[in-house]
Amino acid sequence: MFNKILIANRGEIALRILRACRTLGIGAVVAYSEADRDSLAAQLADEAICIGPSDAKRSYLSAPAVVSAAIVTGCDAIHPGYGFLSEDAGFADVVRAHDLTFIGPSSEVLERFASKEATRRLLAAHGLTTIPGSGMLRDEGHALEEAERIGYPVLLKPSAGGGGKGMRLVRTARELEAAFKVSRSEAQAGFGDDSLYMEKYLDDNRHVEIQIAVDRFGNYIHMFDRDCSVQRRHQKLIEETPSPSLTPAQRLDLAECAARAIAEAGYENLGTLEFLIDTKGEAYFIEINCRIQVEHPITELTTGIDMVAMQIAIAAGEPLPVTQADIRQNGHAIEFRILAEDPAKDFRPQAGQIGAYLAPGGPGVRLDSHLYPGYEVPTYYDSLLGKLSVWAPDRPQAIARADAALREMLVDGLTTNIELHRAILANQVFIDGKVTTNLLDRVGSAPFVAGAR
Amino acid sequence: MAVTKPSDRQPADDAPEIGARALSDHARSLRDHEAINRLADDLLPALIARLSSSGLGEIEVREGAWKARLRKPAARAVATPAAPHPAAVPVRPASHRDERDRHPASAPAEEEMGVVVAKSPAVGVYSPRRDLVLGMRVRSGDRIGFVDVLGVQQEVLSPIDGVIGSSLAEAGEAVEYGQELVRIEVGERSASADHPTPGQKASTAVGSAS
Repeated sequence: MFNKILIANRGEIALRILRACRTLGIGAVVAYSEADRDSLAAQLADEAICIGPSDAKRSYLSAPAVVSAAIVTGCDAIHPGYGFLSEDAGFADVVRAHDLTFIGPSSEVLERFASKEATRRLLAAHGLTTIPGSGMLRDEGHALEEAERIGYPVLLKPSAGGGGKGMRLVRTARELEAAFKVSRSEAQAGFGDDSLYMEKYLDDNRHVEIQIAVDRFGNYIHMFDRDCSVQRRHQKLIEETPSPSLTPAQRLDLAECAARAIAEAGYENLGTLEFLIDTKGEAYFIEINCRIQVEHPITELTTGIDMVAMQIAIAAGEPLPVTQADIRQNGHAIEFRILAEDPAKDFRPQAGQIGAYLAPGGPGVRLDSHLYPGYEVPTYYDSLLGKLSVWAPDRPQAIARADAALREMLVDGLTTNIELHRAILANQVFIDGKVTTNLLDRVGSAPFVAGAR
Repeated sequence: MAVTKPSDRQPADDAPEIGARALSDHARSLRDHEAINRLADDLLPALIARLSSSGLGEIEVREGAWKARLRKPAARAVATPAAPHPAAVPVRPASHRDERDRHPASAPAEEEMGVVVAKSPAVGVYSPRRDLVLGMRVRSGDRIGFVDVLGVQQEVLSPIDGVIGSSLAEAGEAVEYGQELVRIEVGERSASADHPTPGQKASTAVGSAS
């Protein structure tokens, strides 16, 4: 096992990793940017080190800064969290070249799964159904040809992208001509790689993902599913498990197929396979996330597994601590992403100083947040303020507990989406478990908020 | 931060400054000491924090016979990219006479001095330039050392024209981004200030004034 881990991330996930380290009795150093000097993780850590200025390119995204910080603080491993350098094969390589361990898949594995388009072909070869799509698009003419073959509407996607960034829904050839150039330059700017591909867009789909883990010895498990259908512009807002759109048999079948396929394809460490479920209940693999995910707490609540601890153990070369037979999916859990965004003002990100602050409590309530009264929310990074997760024996009780917790939660000083969450919870489509990924974008958030009053 | 010789000269507009002026002619030396210690230890850090976090351009606080005024520079005067707060905070005491009473060993008037700190440009291992010595004169942009980041040397540059003061980090020490490395004393100085004596050194530090 490791002696000391450098936490190369910020916000709530830095705190989550710090907690896992403490639970495991491993030392931890929080690496922070200048804007995060007063962050909770940096304050709670036994050791913290400033790695660069506020601009993430020169701090959290700077491989030399992160690796140098790990070396001078005597760490033997680096946890990248999510986002930033978490799925960067080049970074994983640099980490290893300095005799440190990257907590995540090896650089070879990251390389193999770096291209979404190649990953789809690889997993199709291992038995997963993939969504009809194109290969890498050479140019505009090629894109038009492929769109014609697949059939509109199509989704234009950056191959190196993630988190829904840079994706574009295109319904006609004319739209495609305009979108292609924009997407290409966005992909170049956002991910340093302008390759695009496209896939068929399913209008009324649900987003379901399977959590898997594979150790160095090829042992693998799945930790069932998460439903992330409540989205706004391809950004997840609410996640729950188990998915209300799958029958128990469908769920088990999908989870087992996914785990087997990814293990056979040579994956290692924690991972998530994302699927779109169409109106007929058919599941299409779309992409894999080679990292700990934002929404991991709901899987922890329903399986009782500390996934960050498991991830660290796998990276340290230990065998999986559990077998599939040990894992049960118990009850129902829902997570709400508490964002510093104003739903009334086109979800514009908010910055400011937290005034009064109250974290909700009660049975089955968990809050992963780096907020505290007086904390200055910096403008440099994403708008995630925290994640409220609730657990209950069944879905209706989970919804009731969630509403009570959201009512209790107080974040003064800036506008958040807490009220929008309550409005979605009160909506009949959500109560019926029938939200599709396009719902919020189609109807807008205003009717939800208005309907809840 | 530093106590400097009094001067009738107006401080440069682009430098952060604190003006502290005795309002009473009867202020006694002891009370001055107390006031200046309180300024340095309690008031200034709080004021700097307040000024930095607020949109205000200037803050003035009165304490007994003293008042302290902090003014934000119109444009950032700080030369290192790292500095989150004003790096130079010279304190100008009340009058020539008061100042000489407190620091009999200090240099004559007609100079204005502060301290700017050279900071680390990166996280890594610090090495000062071999010939770096106390009292050495440097120009803005002069290399005064480097920080080794995975074998690549990132230069530590003097942010300002001045004279090398005390070192705040040892050779071979692991340093973080923005860490204070070397104090550089700045300002228009008389010839004697080019070769500081221990007595003069003491006069530049608020903490050692009492």
